[in-house]
Amino acid sequence: MSLVRGLAVQTEIVHAILLRETRTRFGAHQLGYLWAFIEPLLWIATFYGLFWLAGRTPPHGMDLVGFLATGIVPFLLFRETTHRVLVAISSNKALLFYPQVRPLDLVLARSILEMGTFLGVFVVLLGGAALLRGQLRIDNPLLVLLGLTMAGLLGTTLGLVLCALSVYTTVVERLAGPLLRPFFWVSGVFFSANDLPSQIRELLLWNPVMHAVELVRDGTFAGYTARYADLKFPFFVILCLAFAGLTLERVARAKLELT
Amino acid sequence: MIELRRITKSYKTEKGINVVLDDVSAIFPKGENFGILGRNGAGKSTLLRIISGVEMPDYGEVVRKGRISWPLGFSGGFNGSLSGEENCRFVARIYGEDIDRVVEFATEFSELGQYFHMPIRTYSSGMKARLAFGLSMAIDFNIYLVDEVTAVGDKRFQEKCRLAFEERQARSSVLMVSHNLKTITQYCKRAAVLDQGKLTFYDSIKEARLHYDA
Repeated sequence: MSLVRGLAVQTEIVHAILLRETRTRFGAHQLGYLWAFIEPLLWIATFYGLFWLAGRTPPHGMDLVGFLATGIVPFLLFRETTHRVLVAISSNKALLFYPQVRPLDLVLARSILEMGTFLGVFVVLLGGAALLRGQLRIDNPLLVLLGLTMAGLLGTTLGLVLCALSVYTTVVERLAGPLLRPFFWVSGVFFSANDLPSQIRELLLWNPVMHAVELVRDGTFAGYTARYADLKFPFFVILCLAFAGLTLERVARAKLELT
Repeated sequence: MIELRRITKSYKTEKGINVVLDDVSAIFPKGENFGILGRNGAGKSTLLRIISGVEMPDYGEVVRKGRISWPLGFSGGFNGSLSGEENCRFVARIYGEDIDRVVEFATEFSELGQYFHMPIRTYSSGMKARLAFGLSMAIDFNIYLVDEVTAVGDKRFQEKCRLAFEERQARSSVLMVSHNLKTITQYCKRAAVLDQGKLTFYDSIKEARLHYDA
């Protein structure tokens, strides 16, 4: 089979899985796609209330709703993708009964679905905020897209590593929750890198998710510049995780038992 | 055609390593139904999964020519929360078949009635097997890998399956594993016996039976 033909077949398979994943992710509930908005909206409402109570204002150049939305969406994209890619194999074992479906196809389909979903959520949330304010301006859409892609890829590759490990031990699935929880507090969801004391900032910039959040904010607001966000470091992390994940997946493939 | 080249597969169990397939080589030519007999736990389903390519052997390789089905059995292959129809659509897509044609054929063949539009988790194992069977019949495979599944359902459905295979004898054959000699006899003229990791071939079912019963 030639490479082109092989790619065409693989695309068709990922597409089929994607359609099916969309059905199982959103089709099972009465509210369907609305579910995707509930969690980010709840977080935004909570922090809006907290900021108001504490009398805090968003960092310079941003409005509060926009500031919170640009923080929570990339973070949730990262977290959800990690979680859903982690269980891509265990919740879809039945599909591996068809020889042409490979574990990596399941991972890819879930990754695409999450990125698409949160991109949609982001657009709707900012659109909603703009309706309230009366004007919509996204300073640099490409930078926003880059930041969201970064968050999605970080989730995908971390999820892939965990997913391959989960073939060996079920402990991974149980540890993933506690492992990911701290990211909520250190990814810049409700603060900005520019406002941090330098020592803390240096430390937090080792968290690649923080860079994704900063880039999304830089791209959204004309008045905000993410002075400390970097491209090289997060993409280096993505590359390392991808390499580790793909290697582990190859080894784990032989271990995978279908019953 | 399917060729097995020195296939070895073992599993770790609490009592040590269990070698299910021990250096098995074989050729299954196309156009001829073939049966593999084995007791429960002999490794028949494992062998079928390795032949289909969904599971990998520890050593050795499988050479496949022609279009080969997924292993048709009681379990696997269906998503419990989706309906029979949705599952059929998925399979039609990944095999590049016309979706409407496949769905129509599978509805008609599997005779599930209203259940066709209900989630698979509401199905009995017999109904799942009927769906798997109807669905696989909608796609033209050169070799059907069958795991006990034809022993399912009432006499009439069994007869229907047999006739369907007879009808497409010219272009498809069946590779069947079963613990039941009777099922194999209905479809195959020749059989092999899988026992303690080794596959022994016989020229007739009669000879296979002597070995199997012993």
